[in-house]
Amino acid sequence: MARSLKKGPYVDEKLFRKVQQQKQSGSREPIKTWARTCTVVPEFVGHTFSVHNGKIFNSVFVTEDMVGHKLGEFSPTRTFRSHTLARRK
Amino acid sequence: MPRIVGIDVPNDKPSFIALRYIYGIGPKLAMDICRKAEFDPQTKAGDLTEDQLSKIATILEADFVIEGQLRRQTQQHIARLRDIKCYRGLRHRRGLPVRGQRTKTNARTRKGPRKTVAGKKSVKEMR
Repeated sequence: MARSLKKGPYVDEKLFRKVQQQKQSGSREPIKTWARTCTVVPEFVGHTFSVHNGKIFNSVFVTEDMVGHKLGEFSPTRTFRSHTLARRK
Repeated sequence: MPRIVGIDVPNDKPSFIALRYIYGIGPKLAMDICRKAEFDPQTKAGDLTEDQLSKIATILEADFVIEGQLRRQTQQHIARLRDIKCYRGLRHRRGLPVRGQRTKTNARTRKGPRKTVAGKKSVKEMR
C-alpha cells in the first residue's frame, strides 16, 4: 500500500543532513548508511552511498532515474545461487 | 469488417467487445470510448458508420496509448528498472518473478519449462 501523501516521502534525516553537508563542502565521498528504507530524493543525485545489506556495504551511485526508489533496492540482501547451465550441443 | 487505427480488424461482435481486440483497450476503456463517441455499445462493429469509425480513431489517437506505442512504453519502463540495478530490475534480468512470489515451487510462467536437475529430491521421495 502506498504511503500517505500528507507525510511526504520517508527520508532519513541524518542521512539527508549528511548529504547537505557534502553539498556545501563539495566532497563526493561515499556515505556509509544503514538506512535502506530511505527514499532517494532529487538532492541525492550525483552522490555515492554505501548501503548496508546486512553483511557488507554496497556502493550505490545515485542517478536521476533512481529518484523515488528506496536505497535498499540497490543493495541486494540475498546471494543468487543457481545450477551451472547445462550446455547444449 | 471495419478497420480502426491501422491493422486492427475486429469482427462482427458488439462494438464494445470488438474494441478490446486493440492492444491496450480493455472492458473499461472500451465502454469509455463508446460513451465518448456517443454510440450504442451493443451495435455490431460491422454496422458502425464511417462517421463513428473516424470519431473512434480520433479519440484513440488523442487520449490513449495503444498498440506499438504501448508495447514500447512498457519495454522502456522495464529497461529503466534494469539500468538502475534496483531489485525489480535484477529480477527482470534473471527472468524470475518480480513481485515477491515464491520460487521454490511454481513461478513457471517466468522461469519457463522445468529443467530437471539430477540428484535433487522430489516431494514424493522426501516423505
